[in-house]
Amino acid sequence: MEATREIYWNIGHGVVLPMYLLTLAAVGVLVWGFWKRLPLYRLGKPLDRCDRYEERVNRMIGDLLGQEKVARVRDGGLPHNLFFWGFLTLFVGTLIIMVQADFLTPVAGVNLLKGEFYKAFSLVLDLAGLVALVMLGALFVRRYFVRPEGLETVNDDIVIHTLLFGILLTGFLIEGARMAATELVQQPDLASFSPVGKVFAQLFVPFDTSSISASHKVFWWVHFALVLGFFCAIPYTKLRHIVTTSANGFLVPLEPKGTIPTINMEDETVEQFGAAKVSDLTWKDIFDADACTTCKRCQDRCPAHVTGKPLSPMKLIKQIGETAETTPDAALPEVIGADAIWACTTCRACQDICPANNEHVGKIIELRRNLTLMEGAFPGDEVRGAVGNLEVNGNPFGLAYASRGEWAEGLPVTLMESGAEVDILYFVGCYASFDKRNREVATSFVTICAAAGIRVGILGKEEKCCGEPVRKLGNEYLYQMLAQENIELIKGYGVKKIITTCPHCFNTLGRDYRDLGLDVPVEHYSTFLHGLIKEEKLRLTAEAAPFDVTYHDSCYLGRYMDVIEEPRSVLTKAGGRIREMAKSGYDSFCCSAGGGRILAEEKIGTKISEARVSMALETEAPLLVSNCPFCLTMFEDGIKTGGAEGKLVVRDLAEIVAERVKA
Amino acid sequence: MKLLVCIKQVPDMESRFKPNGSGTWFDEADLAWRMNEYDEYAVEEAVRLREQLGESAELTVLSIGPDRVVEAIKKALAMGADRAVHIQDPAVADKDPWQIASIIVAHAREQQYDLIFTGMQSQDRGSAQVGVLVAEQLGLSCATTLVGFSYENGIVTAKRELEGGIKGVARLRLPALVTCQLGLNVPRYPTLPNIMKAKKKEIAALPVDGLLAEPAVAVTTSFHPPAKKGGGVVLEGEVGVLVDKVIGILKEKTAILR
Repeated sequence: MEATREIYWNIGHGVVLPMYLLTLAAVGVLVWGFWKRLPLYRLGKPLDRCDRYEERVNRMIGDLLGQEKVARVRDGGLPHNLFFWGFLTLFVGTLIIMVQADFLTPVAGVNLLKGEFYKAFSLVLDLAGLVALVMLGALFVRRYFVRPEGLETVNDDIVIHTLLFGILLTGFLIEGARMAATELVQQPDLASFSPVGKVFAQLFVPFDTSSISASHKVFWWVHFALVLGFFCAIPYTKLRHIVTTSANGFLVPLEPKGTIPTINMEDETVEQFGAAKVSDLTWKDIFDADACTTCKRCQDRCPAHVTGKPLSPMKLIKQIGETAETTPDAALPEVIGADAIWACTTCRACQDICPANNEHVGKIIELRRNLTLMEGAFPGDEVRGAVGNLEVNGNPFGLAYASRGEWAEGLPVTLMESGAEVDILYFVGCYASFDKRNREVATSFVTICAAAGIRVGILGKEEKCCGEPVRKLGNEYLYQMLAQENIELIKGYGVKKIITTCPHCFNTLGRDYRDLGLDVPVEHYSTFLHGLIKEEKLRLTAEAAPFDVTYHDSCYLGRYMDVIEEPRSVLTKAGGRIREMAKSGYDSFCCSAGGGRILAEEKIGTKISEARVSMALETEAPLLVSNCPFCLTMFEDGIKTGGAEGKLVVRDLAEIVAERVKA
Repeated sequence: MKLLVCIKQVPDMESRFKPNGSGTWFDEADLAWRMNEYDEYAVEEAVRLREQLGESAELTVLSIGPDRVVEAIKKALAMGADRAVHIQDPAVADKDPWQIASIIVAHAREQQYDLIFTGMQSQDRGSAQVGVLVAEQLGLSCATTLVGFSYENGIVTAKRELEGGIKGVARLRLPALVTCQLGLNVPRYPTLPNIMKAKKKEIAALPVDGLLAEPAVAVTTSFHPPAKKGGGVVLEGEVGVLVDKVIGILKEKTAILR
């Protein structure tokens, strides 16, 4: 007897019409549910997220089938992925049965579900069901018995668990009942290809045929009803993420990471800058709330959240959605809280980890733009002072702008205004120009360049702050004023290449200034040095004394610019034996100074810098190397206040390299 | 009600000051400019009163100086002043407080302001004369060094900072002039819509020649840094090295170890 089975066994083909009608109705409820949410998204401002269509479709399919972002966190992610693939396999199996029973058999008279293919089909689906059931069990235990801290459970969860358990169990019960009455008796060999069904079949063996037949019918209808319930529940429960999170794979921002919309300051018709209300955000910002699965991965990684500040990127996303739904005219700064809005370091850890491709940082910037540009608000008086200093002297310290280039006196550096030929323009930045500790980094960098035969030019007193901290605090106006002055200056000198020692300058000049008309290649010194070493223009005396070191990825270098390997390679070439911190690379933990927080005092919770210093201490390396002036400043501070003096020293990569340069 | 706030643009105090060619004031090269700190308090308080009074009031901001002072004027307009008067004087630094006050008086006498706000003093010259001289010449009631201000029914209630931390309260009938001190308020940061609006506000430019007939009464004869009497040394390095350095200094500069 050939391996196959009778579809609609015990149910009869008479069920086909009502089944399709009911399924259609359920799909109708599903579509209607989403349709009704569309006006909610339309509250937001327009935003084109359908350009580069093909690329978007590919990304969505890749995200959906690969589930790579979900897998990045094993806890929760691994069982979810296995469940997803199991359930997806069952869904595809059901579709194959549908095509066979209702199209191929009646229309073409062909049966695919027979022989070896049927055996494989049976086995794969059986195992897929088992995997889905076991993983669902694991997720159930995780949610209700060994709940990780911060995981919020709502009524949706029990509904979803009930539906999914019900669907999987009734599926196996139907299979078991059918097998007990058919395969087990007629084709015991074939039954082995349904190992789980075979176990379930044992439940029915003691009963007579009519009881098996009756219970099979009952389970079939219960299974069918649960599946219909599942469809209907999608738009009304967290299950909506099946659609919305997948859609977010299509709707991802395709511009370079970290791009913030540049406000057109010439447009006099604009009356509202930034987001005071939900309607000041884009439709995507509201949609993100529906794509959020409250997996809390963002919250777990948020440096502000884990050190006791009132910011949770997850709650922020949700609050925007809830406000749109319930009180669309509410003042967002009041709903979210100014302290939460100011706490963000824009480190991008939330956005980087989000399996739903949600965009947290852009929302915070828009909220800050409203506070800053519309209300003239600051996170603190110290920031008010620093901003005033930037306006007057072009640096946050309030030091005389004319002294900006003094650090370079006596060093092999050319002032651009002298008109001499240079290979690179070193955009020094405020910290390396004025801050005593960071001047050592500037000095080290030009020393290295001199050894490699690179002619370095600087703008000296003509240079101004790149504007990054104030931009991230929402002050787009001051940012653009500073940026325009720098851009005109740089363009005027016909600069061919710019190198920065600050990742914030690097991001700003290299990406943000493009919107304002600067089109010169910009590089951070760590990749520049990496290139010089590779080309053998720069040689290091590595063999002299190898040393243990841990490396801190600056957010704006790692997560924002994907510069992860180059600085490590330079450090290794210099003799460093890197002992990685638990959080490194894309998972690096912010130093606390991004997002303009460098200008602000950290008044709430514990110090982020101390948290990071203690992570460095855990590696037992005596040396912490960073390559960002903000990080260096914060770690110098964190080491002192966190009681790590004598145990840990922080140095910049340039200092390490400068000491090991072969003449 | 007509309100006037007089502001001065001054160099940032972090700047490096050098005497100019004539040796009577500082050289303006490489200086960063900003609104005089005390004048910012004056602008803020004037704008608050303007907001309190609504459309029945008009606030004018006045500044004397070369073209660069327009930047300070724009800031005051962005903070909320309605219109501005720029008295163009490239040689403002050569004028003494009496002359500056006389210029303001020449303008204000015509305009019949009800209430004038000035800073307590300028950060660069620090004479604290201009406000009181204007009040005297115009016959206004005057209170200086305000740390508190309120206005109701034609009466200004001024809380003044006196010597030794003592405060005094004065009531002034209009027309009046007040000079503003640190602690009066926190000047607002102009919002972007207000910065945009300010760009369209009128700035009347008046040449100083028509407004000044007075000679200087106190001419600056010399501007120079004080003679260096001594200074501190910050030693850095390992403790052992520091000790050697201290011993060296003590041997060299004092008689203790001889």
